[in-house]
Amino acid sequence: MRHHLPATTTLALAAILACSTDREATDTTTPGVALLTPGPVSDAGWNAGAYEGLQRIGDSLGLRISHQQTLTPAEFDEAFISYADDGYGLIFGHGFEYQDAASRVAAEYPEVTFVVSGGSRPSANVVALIFQLNEASYLAGMAAGAVTQSGVVGMVGGVEIPTAKGTFVAFEAGVKAVREDATVLETFIGSWDNVSAAKEAAAAQLREGADVLIHNVDAASFGFFQSVREARERGRVAWAFGMNRDQNDVAPDVIVGSAAIDYTGMFLRTAQAWRDGTLGEPVYSGLATGTVEFLPNPAREGLIPADALERIDRARQAIIAGTLEVPSIDFIEKEDPVSSQ
Amino acid sequence: MSTRNGPCERRGGSESSGLAARLRDVTKRFGPVTALEGVSFDLVPGEIHGLLGENGAGKTTLARVLGGLLTPDEGRVEIGGCEVALRSARDARALGVAMVHQHFSLVPRFSGLENIALFNGGAWTKRGMAAPGYRERVEARARELKLEVELDLPVEGLGVGARQRIEILKALMSETSVLLLDEPTAVLAPREVDGLFAVLKEVARAGTGIVLVAHKLDEVLAAADRVTVLRRGGWVLTREAASVSAGELAEAMVGGAVGGHLARGAAGGQRPTVDRGRTAMDERRAATPAADQLVGTADPAPVASLRGVTTIRDGEPALRHVNAAVKRGEILGIAGVDGNGQRELARVLARIRTPDEGDATLPAEVGWIPQDRAEEGLVNGFTISENVAFALHGKDSCRKGPWLDWAGIEETAAELVREMDVRATSSTATAANLSGGNQQKVVTGREFLRSADLLVAESPTRGLDVKATVAVRSRIAALARHGDHPPGVVLISADLDEILELSDRIAVMVRGRLIPVPRDAHNPRDIGELMLGARVRPDENADGHAGETRNTVRGPEGSTPGARSAGGGPP
Amino acid sequence: MSTTTLRTRPPLTPALTAATALLATLAVAAALLALGGYSPGDAFAALFRGAFGSWDRFVSFTLVRATPLLLTGLAVAFAFRARVWNIGAEGQLHAGALAGVAVAVALPGTPGLILIPATLLAAAAAGALWASVPAAMKTGMGVGEVITTLLMNFVALFMAQFLVQGPLRESRGVFNQTDEIPAAAHLPDLIPGTRLHLGFLIGVLIAVALWLYLTRTPGGFRLRAVGASPRAAEVSGRFRAKPVVWLAFLTSGAIAGLAGGVQIAGITHRMYENLSPGWGYTAIAVALLARLNPLALVVTAIVFGALSAGGGAMQRDAGVPEVWVRGIEALVILAVLTVDRSWQALADRGSRG
Repeated sequence: MRHHLPATTTLALAAILACSTDREATDTTTPGVALLTPGPVSDAGWNAGAYEGLQRIGDSLGLRISHQQTLTPAEFDEAFISYADDGYGLIFGHGFEYQDAASRVAAEYPEVTFVVSGGSRPSANVVALIFQLNEASYLAGMAAGAVTQSGVVGMVGGVEIPTAKGTFVAFEAGVKAVREDATVLETFIGSWDNVSAAKEAAAAQLREGADVLIHNVDAASFGFFQSVREARERGRVAWAFGMNRDQNDVAPDVIVGSAAIDYTGMFLRTAQAWRDGTLGEPVYSGLATGTVEFLPNPAREGLIPADALERIDRARQAIIAGTLEVPSIDFIEKEDPVSSQ
Repeated sequence: MSTRNGPCERRGGSESSGLAARLRDVTKRFGPVTALEGVSFDLVPGEIHGLLGENGAGKTTLARVLGGLLTPDEGRVEIGGCEVALRSARDARALGVAMVHQHFSLVPRFSGLENIALFNGGAWTKRGMAAPGYRERVEARARELKLEVELDLPVEGLGVGARQRIEILKALMSETSVLLLDEPTAVLAPREVDGLFAVLKEVARAGTGIVLVAHKLDEVLAAADRVTVLRRGGWVLTREAASVSAGELAEAMVGGAVGGHLARGAAGGQRPTVDRGRTAMDERRAATPAADQLVGTADPAPVASLRGVTTIRDGEPALRHVNAAVKRGEILGIAGVDGNGQRELARVLARIRTPDEGDATLPAEVGWIPQDRAEEGLVNGFTISENVAFALHGKDSCRKGPWLDWAGIEETAAELVREMDVRATSSTATAANLSGGNQQKVVTGREFLRSADLLVAESPTRGLDVKATVAVRSRIAALARHGDHPPGVVLISADLDEILELSDRIAVMVRGRLIPVPRDAHNPRDIGELMLGARVRPDENADGHAGETRNTVRGPEGSTPGARSAGGGPP
Repeated sequence: MSTTTLRTRPPLTPALTAATALLATLAVAAALLALGGYSPGDAFAALFRGAFGSWDRFVSFTLVRATPLLLTGLAVAFAFRARVWNIGAEGQLHAGALAGVAVAVALPGTPGLILIPATLLAAAAAGALWASVPAAMKTGMGVGEVITTLLMNFVALFMAQFLVQGPLRESRGVFNQTDEIPAAAHLPDLIPGTRLHLGFLIGVLIAVALWLYLTRTPGGFRLRAVGASPRAAEVSGRFRAKPVVWLAFLTSGAIAGLAGGVQIAGITHRMYENLSPGWGYTAIAVALLARLNPLALVVTAIVFGALSAGGGAMQRDAGVPEVWVRGIEALVILAVLTVDRSWQALADRGSRG
């Protein structure tokens, strides 16, 4: 009787395969755009934003889209190759970690354009997409400087990568532009999704006297906000800033405002430029293009004093005009030091 | 549980046949193997019914069918006169059938009372303890059955006999019409066996029918009212115990053509009891090959000697100043109740354990037939060849460069299978597929292959059927007494018959001490008393014993250089 | 007992076990996918295409993904054979990868013929070293290796994190990763035109070597005996368990470390945090499914590699999210082990008498 088991399951599988629709035929003719993310698209942050952008590309431009979450470099290569083989002409690798794999595969597929968010090594068909989130962080820092009472401001980061570090450098500069004597604390928890570590790190900074905190921990931000909320429930002064996406609605009770990236617009513009053949490299995108923005929390109107809001707006104009340079960390390699291709 | 015979159940059904239990034409198969074929069996209330047979004859299968652990493929099972379909031990329990297994099912850390309460539903409270008042019921029942049980200590600290009594009391706490005992004596010392039988008789007197699965003729004859013999899954005979001789039973079990020694030895109608065993025993000894060639013919230098050997185990001395020596071609029998240091002695002799005190001069290679063949003598998942390789893997003749010469090893194993008469389809059968007797033949044959100067045989026939026992004993005797280069043999056994049958010299192990037995005391009564610690210091005969002691134990001191060279000599 | 009692074991090879369980689970997974609103047909077609769709897919995707599973699986199987429950292949892999990168980066300009062996040997040595800690704790103090090897995994992960953020951080000091190893240290392609590197061949050769060792040599016999029954090995074989335990730990650790070295020399060319997505743990399933047989392990590693490569394709081509893919993979592992177990139970039923 046990020998029938393989036979039955084979039949079942055959039946399933027989019902499969043939997608191939309709697909390969339309140009395709693909996205690789390093984490789940349910993170309400970095990956979710990119995924929304991809969906907009499908909806507004009528392009074929696909997404894969990848874990290891072997998978990076594999996904890039698969998409290139399947006729996808534009492939986003949403994170600096895709740089090596993109460089390797790009050499074999010159007709395909690879876009690496936070990429560091642009080449003929590898485009680095740089979100100048530091500009919005600077404005958030100014707001923090105006809101803090203790004069101690905290920053909780995920993994210490240049893009994350860059936002903190700018935030700190923003705080000090408003309040020169402020103390700024910084912690990296070494992970993008360790909720309890983020919570602990925020709690530790609150204990050290910080009353305004900003994060850059992506999916772990739930723990970060929780910590701030609990401090408030104990009657303390504690405020938080959102990061990467407009998080004002994630924790409206504790958020002063968010330094946000408009991934959707950025991805859409990048795909449009690719279709029109005008995609340059690398693509810097900040306040001037509307890709990043500082968004005060509408639910907490009045928290930031009017004069501070005015100063923030002046700084914003100055950055767009190019008269105010926000500190940043540049990570684009000017020449290719190890070319193994 | 379901009862096919409805009216029977309504009547409460104990009177319809007057039998406690009955099997009719029961057949049970395991795949291609027929374990029971058309066997009928009945059990009268209040009788002790001995169930005899060689290993694999179907005794345990029959007991398990009655106990609800196995469902027969054909035939009917009746309990208390009602035909029943038992689906589990729980079903059987509900009908008053209890089983005491060979391996006890007690929680080691629980006390006797807790174990008994745990097994009997309702006596165990939700807070994890025996219900109030239950203790009194248990004690009353124990008194009723004249069972001495320790209720308060964790059972892990108790002896085997004490644990068995708890197991029995546990089974008898609720109304029990049928009590099944699977090889209950296998784990007991001789005196404990008597105690067990006394208990069983008491239980039977109260009306419970008892099935006693066993393979030792004399025990069954001593305890049972009736005896049933099975052979190869089939029924052979059922007789009143009083009207059957050991010889007839042995013949029924092994089928006439085999087991000559024991059948002949017991054919005189004598039960090998302590009182009257002498004639049977003597005959048996005479029948053993070369039993008359004694110490004198062997090499005067011992192949192994222990002097003042003491070992400590778990902070307690396990061996205390043990002196012993064994010469070529000599069998030194060491009798004793299990757990008096024999294990440790075997480990020292086999060079696995180094003494904490004293000197051990031992040959480089020692053959060792360990007591627990299933766990220590064999790797169950290994084939016969692989198990045989334990003795061969170190020999140059079994290697080809860096590789093991498996072809050669398999050839040797196949030869061993033939020579030892191991029943297996091939040497690639795994050890787990062999019956106990065949397993022991493999272990014995393998240890012979080591061609060592010393062979330690630890309870080599425990749990074996008559035929296998005869085979293994005669091999050991033949090994020690024939050949140009016979090894010295140390035979450690709790079986007095075995010790008396094979040994040239005898010593008794009591509480870590090795006491020599003078030749005039080579009889079951004297040795039995020594074993049970009645005469740890045989003072009343001081002179004679001292002489014997010097002779057997201190002897090697005089020839220390010889002993040393034997120790460092070629294997 | 007589000859008729011999057990009748169904002649099922591990590969067949794997295939059946796989199919049974796919049927369950199909139902779940359908409930989730995904087309099971598309999903499985994608799975198959991703893993076996073309020669290049099979070689470049499936076999590449199978390589670290093969090596860590062999490490686990070898240890388990000796009854050493090494749950620490993950940590030993990380230790190996770190050592490999450190050596390769420290020796620029060395020809590949020297640099590749040096890198891989360093990785193996580091893996063995990592395994020697639980080995010493087990043999010296009797501390159970399940806990110690598991905890050593976390130590290795944190050490990797610390090293790539600090001492071994790339010379530009921007990202948390090491410098790229010199091109001479890259493992050559095994099949030109594909992404399959020498590491797979190394894995297959080790599998054959382990199989020969276990079945054909006195040392392998000793190890199997100690693993199958330590008491019988001591009494019947007069084997001391301690040297065997050490050998099992060190060899297992070395192979797992080599897995890390092969991965950085063959694929990533540098080290960073979270190099492995848990190969060292998946390896346990791979090894058990192969019934700890090194040759069968080549097959089961490829099965798992295919499952993993196909999982990527399920995301890409059928839009099945990552979590679903992981869930289905986990289902397959569970089913495979269950089916394996129940067959054994069925086979054992016939042996009682």
